[in-house]
Amino acid sequence: MKAQLTLQTPLELPPKEISSYLDKLWISENDFSLGANTFSLVVWQPSWLEQCLVMNNIISGPITGNLSQEIIKTSKELILENRLPLATSLYSSKLTDLLKKNISYDSSEDLRGQFFESSISTLNPRRLITLAPTFERDSELKTFVSAYCPLSDDTSDQTICGDLVVIRGGTQSIYSEGLELVNNLSIDDLPSWLWWNGSLDDSPEIFDSFCEGGRRLIIDTANGSIKRCLDILNKALQSNKAINDLNWVRLKSWRESLAMIFDPPPRRAILEHISDIDIDIEGDHIIQALFLISWISDKLAWKFEKIEKNVHGIKASFRRGNGEEIKISINPLPLGNPSIHSGQVIGLRLISKISKNPKQNTCIILGSESAECTRLEAGGMADMHLIEEVVPNSLSASETDVSQLLGSSRGNTSPLFENAIKIAREIYEAID
Amino acid sequence: MNSSLSNPLRLGLRQERVIPPQCLVIFGASGDLTHRKLIPALFELFLQRRLPSEFAIVGCARRPWDDDEFRAKMEYKLEKQISQNEKEWVNFSKYLFYEPVDLQKEDDVIKLASRLAEIDKDQATHGNRTFYLSVSPNFYGSGCKALKNAGLINDPKKSRIVIEKPFGRDYSSAKKLNRIVQSCAHESQIYRIDHYLGKETVQNILVLRFANTIFEPIWNRNYISNVQITSSEIVGVEDRAGYYETSGALRDMLQNHLTQMLAVTAMEPPGRFDPEAIRNEKAKVLQASKLADEDNPWECCIRGQYEEGGNNANPLKAYREEEGVNINSTTETYIAAKVFIDNWRWQGVPFYLRTGKRLPKRLGEIVLTFKDVPVHLFESTIINPAPNQLILRIQPNEGATFKFEVKSPGSGMRSRPVEMEFSYDESFGEPSDEGYVRLLADSMLGDPTLFTRSDEVEAAWKLYTPLIELMENAPWKLPIFKYESKTWGPPEADQLLSKDNIFWRRP
Repeated sequence: MKAQLTLQTPLELPPKEISSYLDKLWISENDFSLGANTFSLVVWQPSWLEQCLVMNNIISGPITGNLSQEIIKTSKELILENRLPLATSLYSSKLTDLLKKNISYDSSEDLRGQFFESSISTLNPRRLITLAPTFERDSELKTFVSAYCPLSDDTSDQTICGDLVVIRGGTQSIYSEGLELVNNLSIDDLPSWLWWNGSLDDSPEIFDSFCEGGRRLIIDTANGSIKRCLDILNKALQSNKAINDLNWVRLKSWRESLAMIFDPPPRRAILEHISDIDIDIEGDHIIQALFLISWISDKLAWKFEKIEKNVHGIKASFRRGNGEEIKISINPLPLGNPSIHSGQVIGLRLISKISKNPKQNTCIILGSESAECTRLEAGGMADMHLIEEVVPNSLSASETDVSQLLGSSRGNTSPLFENAIKIAREIYEAID
Repeated sequence: MNSSLSNPLRLGLRQERVIPPQCLVIFGASGDLTHRKLIPALFELFLQRRLPSEFAIVGCARRPWDDDEFRAKMEYKLEKQISQNEKEWVNFSKYLFYEPVDLQKEDDVIKLASRLAEIDKDQATHGNRTFYLSVSPNFYGSGCKALKNAGLINDPKKSRIVIEKPFGRDYSSAKKLNRIVQSCAHESQIYRIDHYLGKETVQNILVLRFANTIFEPIWNRNYISNVQITSSEIVGVEDRAGYYETSGALRDMLQNHLTQMLAVTAMEPPGRFDPEAIRNEKAKVLQASKLADEDNPWECCIRGQYEEGGNNANPLKAYREEEGVNINSTTETYIAAKVFIDNWRWQGVPFYLRTGKRLPKRLGEIVLTFKDVPVHLFESTIINPAPNQLILRIQPNEGATFKFEVKSPGSGMRSRPVEMEFSYDESFGEPSDEGYVRLLADSMLGDPTLFTRSDEVEAAWKLYTPLIELMENAPWKLPIFKYESKTWGPPEADQLLSKDNIFWRRP
């Protein structure tokens, strides 16, 4: 789906006037609010990469906040040209640090907060607040506001009007003034979400202050150092704060495909004899692989035992209730195609040994491409009974994943994810 | 290899939609449906953790029970189900409340409104209410009016009404009832329930047809010679004689369950998976349906009534000997009808529908029989080569079978039919939810996809109007044929098809 631009050009108002302007706007027609009874969404939208590309005149503006195909293509070329590691993510600070050196601060049109993916706008958010940080830390805050009542083909008399606020400025200004404004703009009766659409290492003071409020969080642990990501998740669990992770959401097709293999009852005995699991990931960010193995071990009641890290990757072991060991290997693979999200799972192999005769054993291979399946078939796996499946990695944009969370969830942390976080943290701490 | 009971990797994986805070009000809470279907379905939703914590179930009936008595009655009736989940029942029963209400008494309904306001506050249900009318159909209209007068269904965003079948007794009464109900609530608030649509396999017809490319090109008059839809029961009238005597198989099964299966089987692909788009297509196909011979309806319909049967060890009574049944009853316990659909896709393809009580098996199935090959090249091991058939099993052993010809082993080139089988049990290994579990959840979620809209209900009644008029005005033209209990209906029903050189599938 294409991003949709607001019909009305947002009006620039001084930050102090935003609240009163909106209050007046909603009561001017009638004596009660006409706004949609849905939710409010605050989006942290740094778009550092896009800002760098536009300010370097590598791509033409305006800055929209959407990860377009042009940005992806250009950035991948830059990674290769500048000989950055192949697994460098497009959200990596390595890339933006490189580009930041030459940026010119000529004013480029900045339309962040005015473009929204239609999958989100069709949910009729009541209030969208975009925090659009700029490179100059202290640059003063500018605020924009716009209200809209989209046409609806729904014949019911449901009100679907909403408003949109953009808070743009340096991170220091956002922290000192912008956060207070966001709090003033919160609507008490409606669910409120924060989507941190950037690295979790970025502006920790701003992120942490959001964690203190009652907002439901949407983060992406593919962007940020593993320790910081796991700490954030753990803190949210400890404080019973609802948290949703797009990196976990993207594992859905892997979890679903693996579960599907064991739907036919005669196959379930295979699960009781798993001896080895190999997980191939793109790049070296292991958090998604940790979630995957944590989910499997939680469901099969295995206990984590030990882990070691070497140049080839990570080896861990778990123990089943009957004392049998399960060996786990997480293998980072440098692929020729720099990734959008770091550390995405690209292959999974489970070996189940029920007998000494290889023909009676089973090898289950899930790969994101046929070539990955072929890679995992090597080493005599074909002697076993093979069950294979290609699970293409999710191509959906983060906006689509976010809209699904907004539309279908009450924001609670998934119990499966909660358990996976606890185990992933236990494993990661054992590495240190 | 041994199989374990459930797939551990599947647990918790299903991404169920979240039911918002809700107060479900059941009218007719002392009746059979409440303890046989509704409360078990709600308990199942609770066990699946699909109910919000801000929830309440308010039972309403004329009996002067209180909350504790209602809880105790439900506990007693659901003893079997609770025995394995005692702890969970204790928590679930906290959601159960009771208020004595006679829907005909204004004071009672006003009292209910204030009780609901209290419960809303205590249980934090945000004013979201679903009213389930599990009462006699005679009270649907007045019940809706009472709710409207008490201001309980004024907010179309927060309140809805679920209405059980039968919705009307014929086309004109259904139309009248629709008018009354729609004068009390917006159509989007009205959920007419047909529990057959809650069955996994009925919904699977949509997936089978519209998520696969191989079926849709042949799903039409060019390839399909006829369609048979069967719903049979082993049981007789049991303790429902009072209701059944006034309805019969046509009103109890044919007009709703079987006709809905026909609609799902024959509808055009909707433009998108959207409740209104799907219901538009269902309504269109029902509006295009007609009895095969509307001028002489007796030529395309057979009615039957079960006689004695069984054996010495287990003798079975005839319908007229059942308790509560008139000894001269002319209520049909079996009906078979031939229907055509007047549209481009189905012109000339007969749809045979049959349903009955005291038949040899309990089953529901849809059989699509394909046309014969134009030239028979191979000798068949049976006298007539069997046509290809796609059999969609609704119950039991939900799944599908495809019947086709293969070479019979041996030196010659002789063919014989074989079956390719898909079974829900074998593929998924988990029982599917009862229809009511799905439909109750959908109604509270505000998803009307699997509920029938007013125009669908009216079209379904209109389809059978010639039969209903004949039954009322000239019943001798549509006689009741007797059939022995535990047989596949009267022989005349076979003749309905054999005239077309077609035979009922013997499941």
